[in-house]
Amino acid sequence: MAPALSNFLRVIRAPLAAILLTLALGFLLVASITDEPVRAYRDLLLANFDSLGNFALFLNRATPLTLIALGVVFSFRAGVFNVGGEGQLYAGAVTTTVVAIAGASLPALVLMPLAIIAGFLAGAVVGWIPGVLKVRLAVDEVVTTLMLNIIILLITSWLANQVIRDTTAYGAVSWMVPNSIWLPPLPFVPRATSGFLVAAVLAVVSWIVLFRTQWGAEVRAAGTNLRFAEATGVPAARRVISAMVIAGGLAGLAGALYVLGVGHRFEQNFSPSYGLVGLTCALLARVHPIGSLATALFYAAMLNGAAYMQISTDVPRSLVNLLTGLLVLLMTARLRRAAQAA
Amino acid sequence: MNLTSLLAAVLEQSTPILLAALAAMITLRANILNVAVEGMMLAAAFAAVAVGDWSGSAWPAFLSALVVAVVLSQLLALLTLRFFADFIVAGLGINLLAAGGTLFILERYYNSPGGLRPIAFPDIWHIPAGSLSWLPVLGPAFEGQSVIVLIALVAVPLTYVFLYKTPLGASLRAAGEDEHAARSAGIRIAAMKALSLAISGLLAGLAGAQLAMDKLHFFLPDMTSGRGFIGLAATLFGGGQPWMTAAASFLFGFFGALGDRLQVFAIPSQFVLMLPYVAAIIGLTFARWRILVRNRPARIRDNPQ
Repeated sequence: MAPALSNFLRVIRAPLAAILLTLALGFLLVASITDEPVRAYRDLLLANFDSLGNFALFLNRATPLTLIALGVVFSFRAGVFNVGGEGQLYAGAVTTTVVAIAGASLPALVLMPLAIIAGFLAGAVVGWIPGVLKVRLAVDEVVTTLMLNIIILLITSWLANQVIRDTTAYGAVSWMVPNSIWLPPLPFVPRATSGFLVAAVLAVVSWIVLFRTQWGAEVRAAGTNLRFAEATGVPAARRVISAMVIAGGLAGLAGALYVLGVGHRFEQNFSPSYGLVGLTCALLARVHPIGSLATALFYAAMLNGAAYMQISTDVPRSLVNLLTGLLVLLMTARLRRAAQAA
Repeated sequence: MNLTSLLAAVLEQSTPILLAALAAMITLRANILNVAVEGMMLAAAFAAVAVGDWSGSAWPAFLSALVVAVVLSQLLALLTLRFFADFIVAGLGINLLAAGGTLFILERYYNSPGGLRPIAFPDIWHIPAGSLSWLPVLGPAFEGQSVIVLIALVAVPLTYVFLYKTPLGASLRAAGEDEHAARSAGIRIAAMKALSLAISGLLAGLAGAQLAMDKLHFFLPDMTSGRGFIGLAATLFGGGQPWMTAAASFLFGFFGALGDRLQVFAIPSQFVLMLPYVAAIIGLTFARWRILVRNRPARIRDNPQ
């Protein structure tokens, strides 16, 4: 037990240090603004648990973050630097919305799985493109995923503004999806989406798939060294592509569940860059599925807590954006080089 | 004159893209994919507006834009080269920091999260109207453009000369092409990368200053709206060569200028705006495909399927 514990502590030391350093810098900033910095920080981190309503909003926030982070885990374990979470999320959300609106006459029992699968598949296609280009042609996946993000955002902007636009509403939002296919709320937490349950279960499933199956071992082997994995008989290229399909699919699912569980329509600005924050969560968790669930919960608490902090003290909520920037900037930094072999 | 106004619009749209593209190009040659251009531009634009508002004169505003962008670039250099942070992650961190930081300052110190609009803002030097009337078509298009447009046009040959005709530029390219070989040749890799980031910051600062100081004279939280990434796309499309990068920037600027006019036809503007990014993916894929085809005989053993 003792070695396992010390091993665990060693693994989480660096991300924990990054989080604490960022929070400490933030505290200094807050202390220079308000007379009650402790109150501000309490609200930032703990106000989510003040009421059942706050808690529900917190779970709703954590759901897409968890799913995107899981997708990032799959792609990074396969050695693909996937920064395309945002695009995959939007592709999933908009496809689910389009399918739900187009198929509104279908019975809910058919339409609901159809809409969710469509969202998953849309994200999967967006993940497949950089995967295939990387494996077959060695096209840099950072570039393709970054560019695809913007392309997808422009496509959804066109759809939301011109095609499925709710003409009675203000802003670029689609028509509502039929309320027969809205996700049921979480038991005991009325306003929380049951999508969170899906995300939590998928975190465990992802861990099993990646660390306790042969497929997962092959994905990780391919991610560590593609040519060595090929040489030992692992169909590494195929494993990388399928990991990217799953990665995109999970982010697409995040969009689908957001539309059916929280937004009930597609809004062009629904994501406060969930893609990047999901990436942050996954990297903070050292690309570990269960750890990603934990960091996503932490981040959801901060994102929502910022609003409560702004109400109770006069600290602007964009403090969280500032802190996120600092955290992302700091989180991969090392005091000394871990291994010279890179 | 219709052609003149289109040319003027293309020049205006292309300048920040061109500067961003050169900023991304100079780091790309040192083997850094610089995703932080967007953030450096945004911070520079904010610094220009804030200092211009405060000081009431143009040159401090212009200089502070450059200083802020270079400082950010050196922060990125410090974290990646000294503390071994990942270039992409830290670069995205710079973007988030610039977006979050400017928004935070807007909310905290200006009390206007929507943006900063000074009542009076000093004008940067523009080419006076009528001074170039002796040049047909091109002259009127240049009239009224800011001095930064001229700097951007001069920056293209300057970066070319720097990269290909100076020892320092050769060292920088060597550090980007083969780190181990360059190190054996006595080139200080980290210094070269930091230098490329500093130049990149300078160019991104110019781009931000142009956005804020040319015509608009105000700052909006997302006013760069992806121009840093269009610049990155232009660099990748241009293969990291100064002339090709400049050509791609003008092409994308032309699309941008066209996008405003195409709304007359039934093409949604989003599809025009998409072109740079699609072009970057296709261009990069095509380049890789050509390399693959060229190397195919040597690769048969390597690639069993």
